[in-house]
Amino acid sequence: MQIMARRMIRVLLVEDEEINRVVARAALKAAMTGDGGDDDDGHVLDEAENGEVAVQRVRAAASAAPYDLILMDRQMPAMDGHEATRRIRAMGVTTPIVAVSSDGLPADVEAFIGAGADDFTSKPLTKEKLGNILSKFRLA
Amino acid sequence: MDYSNLRRQAASMKKSLFDQGYLDEQFCQVEDLQDEASPNFVEEVVTLFFKDSGRLMSNIEQALEKYPRDFSRWDAYMQQLKGSCSSIGASRMKNECMSFRDSCGQGNVEGCMRSFQKVKREHAVLRQKLESYFQLLRQAGPAGAATRPVM
Repeated sequence: MQIMARRMIRVLLVEDEEINRVVARAALKAAMTGDGGDDDDGHVLDEAENGEVAVQRVRAAASAAPYDLILMDRQMPAMDGHEATRRIRAMGVTTPIVAVSSDGLPADVEAFIGAGADDFTSKPLTKEKLGNILSKFRLA
Repeated sequence: MDYSNLRRQAASMKKSLFDQGYLDEQFCQVEDLQDEASPNFVEEVVTLFFKDSGRLMSNIEQALEKYPRDFSRWDAYMQQLKGSCSSIGASRMKNECMSFRDSCGQGNVEGCMRSFQKVKREHAVLRQKLESYFQLLRQAGPAGAATRPVM
């Protein structure tokens, strides 16, 4: 039986607070690994501490190895998540962008979707939430 | 050393933290992320939380002094702290952060000041309780030590 090589999923996590990045990193690894405890969790995670860095990373990755998923925080220094999402879409990048915010107010969600995000989830990111996101966008 | 007794004490202490509302389900989520590759993940995250939250509270304290009635700025800082609390399930502290933000929304300076004092108190209490909890866990040793003989 031929075993198909599992494609590495490239994820960009855009989050300014280190603690949120640490938890999200571990939760994503757990969501990708699943219950199998497979050491090869099949993803590469890049991180950006604000929207401006995120836009640069997306631009740099676009031709060579585009991201499969972008997790975008809202409130960040230099450039917030709404603006970063707008600029990424303006580049013609169609990678799924999931907005992540602790408030989850309807106006906040609408602003993100209006900027071009595909979905919204609340903080903190958990293994379950990330598992659902990966399933929704057929990345797991 | 009675390791199983220490582990029972640690479990009881943890239960108490939940029962008294200091921690919520998110703390369990963080615990679930601990594995053999990251055996001290929970304590590392909690340590990072207290370092982070100390800095954020210092920012808020300075903002309260340097930018009077700048509710938008105060709220933005407190939103960051609230987010940090949510990451580890620091429930009571998070609730006080939310009270502060409510006061910002109402333009209530006195309310903000009162809430901020409560945030600081909850922070100090949680730090003390979690330090005790992790100290007990360290003494109890890894779960695999259950077969160690009672001394």
